[in-house]
Amino acid sequence: MADPILSVRDLHTHFFADEGVVRAVDGTSFDLFAGQTLGIVGESGCGKSVTARSILRIVDRPGRIVSGEILLRRADGSVTDMVKLPADSREARAIRGGEIGLVFQEPMSSLSAFHTIGNQLIEAIRLHASLSKKQARARAIELLAMVGIPRPEQRVDAYSFELSGGLRQRVMVALALAGEPRILIADEPTTALDVTTQAQILELIRSLQRERDLAVILITHDMGVIAEMADDVVVMYLGKEVEKGPVDAIFHAPNHPYTRALLRSIPSILAEPREKLATIAGSIPHPFARPNGCPFHPRCSETLPGVCDTQVPATVQIGERQAAACHLLSGKTA
Amino acid sequence: MTPVLDVRSLRKHFPIRTGMLGRVSGHVKAVDDVSFTIDRGETLSLVGESGCGKTTTSRCILRAIAPTAGEILFQGNDIAQLQRKDLRPLRRQMQMIFQDPFSSLNPRMTISEIIGEPLLVNGMTNNAERNARVAELLTLVQLPTAYMNRFPHAFSGGQRQRIGIARALALHPSLIVADEPVSALDVSVQAQIVNLLIELQDRLGLAILFVAHDLSVVKHVSHRVAVMYVGRIVELAPTRTLFATPRHPYTEALLSAVPVPDPRRRASRIVLEGDVADPSNPPTGCHFHPRCRYATDRCKVETPPLVEVAPGHAVRCLRTDEIALGSVTPPQN
Repeated sequence: MADPILSVRDLHTHFFADEGVVRAVDGTSFDLFAGQTLGIVGESGCGKSVTARSILRIVDRPGRIVSGEILLRRADGSVTDMVKLPADSREARAIRGGEIGLVFQEPMSSLSAFHTIGNQLIEAIRLHASLSKKQARARAIELLAMVGIPRPEQRVDAYSFELSGGLRQRVMVALALAGEPRILIADEPTTALDVTTQAQILELIRSLQRERDLAVILITHDMGVIAEMADDVVVMYLGKEVEKGPVDAIFHAPNHPYTRALLRSIPSILAEPREKLATIAGSIPHPFARPNGCPFHPRCSETLPGVCDTQVPATVQIGERQAAACHLLSGKTA
Repeated sequence: MTPVLDVRSLRKHFPIRTGMLGRVSGHVKAVDDVSFTIDRGETLSLVGESGCGKTTTSRCILRAIAPTAGEILFQGNDIAQLQRKDLRPLRRQMQMIFQDPFSSLNPRMTISEIIGEPLLVNGMTNNAERNARVAELLTLVQLPTAYMNRFPHAFSGGQRQRIGIARALALHPSLIVADEPVSALDVSVQAQIVNLLIELQDRLGLAILFVAHDLSVVKHVSHRVAVMYVGRIVELAPTRTLFATPRHPYTEALLSAVPVPDPRRRASRIVLEGDVADPSNPPTGCHFHPRCRYATDRCKVETPPLVEVAPGHAVRCLRTDEIALGSVTPPQN
């Protein structure tokens, strides 16, 4: 296999609040390859968005990257560690929006209501390429056409509030592509959309990926979207990477009790009407009241007393490409 | 047996006012001729894309807004045009569960005050009696009674939703309107609330109007499903029938768009072009024709009626007998 375009190694991003330290991301590692989609899935507070923000070096204070490496393979073959770059350096800014594009969840609040979508696009284009305003405008129209916006010559002068949710999200994708990125990070890109619009946006991301050999990091809480889109999957819980592997293995041979429980508890369109769902007991702990040992042990049905509540499980490699962090896999008994 | 709720030809048109004098220049036909019934112990789901009128329909039924026309028979009495004071005695029998468990509970009230308020308003002034009922309700929604004197901030999203359900059940309602009750919750918690709603309904014989956009959740909770598009019901059928043999092209497209949580079943989807029609200026004929892949010239001019194609299965499509639609197929082992 080719070299990964992005490698995250043992990333720790913590938030230092007055009440204590929130370990939002606590040891995540993964590789991303050109033309492939990596899905990061988990519930609220699992650290999936903070992982994305760490890669782009846009973690808000009081959060900061404590340790780890984010190795970006540049177009010329050299490798840059994003962690070592100052967040506001010229180089970091060139990578952000240039080599790595980002699509946010909320198209309404991420787009300016005071500027036309054309002006926002032109600004993004000219940040990363030396084009005249006229050339940039032509490029903006081209981008709008590429993301499937009808009548782009007119829409370029529209404001975001004049567009529907689906069109706005297409504009977000166009903005993310303005700097000709090789990596696209999509953070819950379809969560606020209707299913029919969601299908359109996912199809758009897929076709752009094929055309440009984009590496995509897709962050979502929706296992259905993951099944549909991802090549590889990272499952996160409370900042910890609990399991990762190829999408087929995650869905058909999950090793971690959390992955298994999550898969059982999702409502499916294939279920019988009025069929009850399997549940995971309890709820996600408050970030300041993080359990000792394995973060999932209070809700786990297979927890080993004296082991899971005291020791943090190590990541165990299963086969060539799958790994999970669970005491059951390292052969421990109570 | 009279159904708990019988909605007949419900319409809600919002006027569009323009100019300095606020002249009415048109109407948004948010709900346009909607009819359905819900029996005791039954869940009917309203599904559709945003702007299809599902929330407006539920707000009319609760009489949070006054309908423009039509009848809303609640336990046999028409409440569509009742005045405020005549509605009051009926209000306790129809309750609502909200979408956002964070903004729907007053942060300055304890749990016992929140759940006890409807009891107090309806004359249960004895504190001991009221606290006993609150404890009973907390047990019903599977929360420890010891939490009674805490404030909402101490609870997780799922627990708050349970509190909201307890409040809705306080006055023994016969109808519950649940507008997206689980869409703000995490997957692992969503399952708990879905199960709780099913259990409570079986125990208390509640009639539930479930408004949702997530068809997977809808399949788990409903007995029957009504699909809405631009203010009209385009298909209404028992849950199993609707998912197995949809008869309207819009239902087919909606079902096809739902991602299936199995990477081995990446199917080719029917991707609907364009957006939902503008309800202030809907297309002529069948509202769905500009996005429908089966549309003919006839669909552009003729408005299709809602026709019963099988017992309990109604469809609003001119071509339903001529076209073969795909459905959600069960998993192959």
